[in-house]
Amino acid sequence: MAEQADLIYLDYAASTPVDPWVAEAMTALMTADGNYANPSSTHVAGRQSVEHIAHAAGQLGTLLNTDPLRLIWTSGATESDNLAILGGAHYRQKRGRHLITMRTEHKAVTDAFTELERQGYSVTWLNPEPSGLLDIAKLEEALRDDTQLVSIMHINNETGVVQDIAQIGAVCRERDILFHVDAAQSVGKLAIDLSALPVDLMSMTAHKVYGPKGIGALYIADRAGVHVDPLLFGGGQQRKLRPGTLPAQQIVGFGTAAAIAQSRMARDLKHLNAMRERLWSGIQDIPGISTNGAIECAFPGILNVSIEDIEGESLLLALEPLCVATGSACNSKSQEPSYVLRALGSSDVLAQSAIRFSFGRPTSASDIDIAIECYRSSVASLRNLAPGGVE
Amino acid sequence: MSAGPYSARVRELFANPAHAGQLADAVGVLVEDQGVRIAFSAQLAAGRIDTLRFQAWGCPHVIAAAEAFCANYEGRITAELLDFSTSDLMQSLSVPVEKTGRILVIEDAVRSLAQELVRPSPKEH
Repeated sequence: MAEQADLIYLDYAASTPVDPWVAEAMTALMTADGNYANPSSTHVAGRQSVEHIAHAAGQLGTLLNTDPLRLIWTSGATESDNLAILGGAHYRQKRGRHLITMRTEHKAVTDAFTELERQGYSVTWLNPEPSGLLDIAKLEEALRDDTQLVSIMHINNETGVVQDIAQIGAVCRERDILFHVDAAQSVGKLAIDLSALPVDLMSMTAHKVYGPKGIGALYIADRAGVHVDPLLFGGGQQRKLRPGTLPAQQIVGFGTAAAIAQSRMARDLKHLNAMRERLWSGIQDIPGISTNGAIECAFPGILNVSIEDIEGESLLLALEPLCVATGSACNSKSQEPSYVLRALGSSDVLAQSAIRFSFGRPTSASDIDIAIECYRSSVASLRNLAPGGVE
Repeated sequence: MSAGPYSARVRELFANPAHAGQLADAVGVLVEDQGVRIAFSAQLAAGRIDTLRFQAWGCPHVIAAAEAFCANYEGRITAELLDFSTSDLMQSLSVPVEKTGRILVIEDAVRSLAQELVRPSPKEH
């Protein structure tokens, strides 16, 4: 097996390395010579810890153009999704118990809705168009008088397809329906202006944007009727919405990562576009290859391709030392075909051949060239190996 | 570093399938089941399996198992194919039990090959 140094990491949609500046800022709050105090403590060190957290909230608030007081810290996007969906549905249940989402959402969203179905809520599961986009007309058709919550992700974690959250949000806002956006893949990567967007709840995480794992946030809009019931109970922190000792070093890591992301977003996007273009140009002529989700609708940090006549598990092993994903990282140990790609109309066999390449700041042209060579040779070898293959 | 779901032996056989291919002027079989396609072709010499080749469409365990079978049975007498069982292969390659069905396709293909090899050729009638 390849050693760490030989690996070509192209799985930045699963996680990113912590930026050195982020690590430095975090370390200062962890060791004995730094401020490691509990921010709930009332002594000087505790109050300083609160100031660090407030500064980080300001950095994230600036990135999203929102009041930092609208941000609730969580352990990550999964918890944020659960708090938004379960908490939002519970808070509004007296008004109605109908909810809407898409079949292509992350498991953190779909499983939360499945739990609400178990609790007696009615959920409409919308299918995407072949491009991966949501047809707004189908959303409008699905709305009912008792619809209380719509949850649509911003950037799809498997295909990279970017939904028009401004348009979807406008439809919801007209009817006073809570609109939740899972923005785990987009915060810090695409410009998001929460002062202008009709979004009520937005989930985010640090580790997709060069911050640490274990910290996320939920944005809750300052609008009448927008609120969530808590899922956890305890010390009363964060206005009792998400109690528990605040991990100051994680929060500062997220804040620093947000500030860095904001300062270099245009540069990052240009780089990701170049990397995706280089990779797609290098493999698009292979017979039977296709993208999952329309490339023109997708975030440039992700390229998801399927290929005919190839067994996906063997392709993944043949591609080593490339670190790529077959499905989302959260369920990639499963050999089941991706439910996201099946919802896009892909056959089981084609969905199993899918490879998600995702790029990041450290990705180089040389990495992409190795990936192209590796993908082409792996496909050729496996096709030669198959009965009826070309010798 | 973790080997993940594949043993070192599976990785080695998957990366170097020395017996991959299809023989001309040989006895051949193709079996398809469980989302797996396996083809074996064999040439005999003096009552023994002189050359064995395989083709496979399946997961790494299937490819490794097919390669291991070919490597093990070249040079043996045809009758030994009838005693072939996947259990030894699964153990030596550390194949997870949930893949038993796929590996059994190899057993089906070996049995088919054995039947083809022992069947009298038309000119002997």
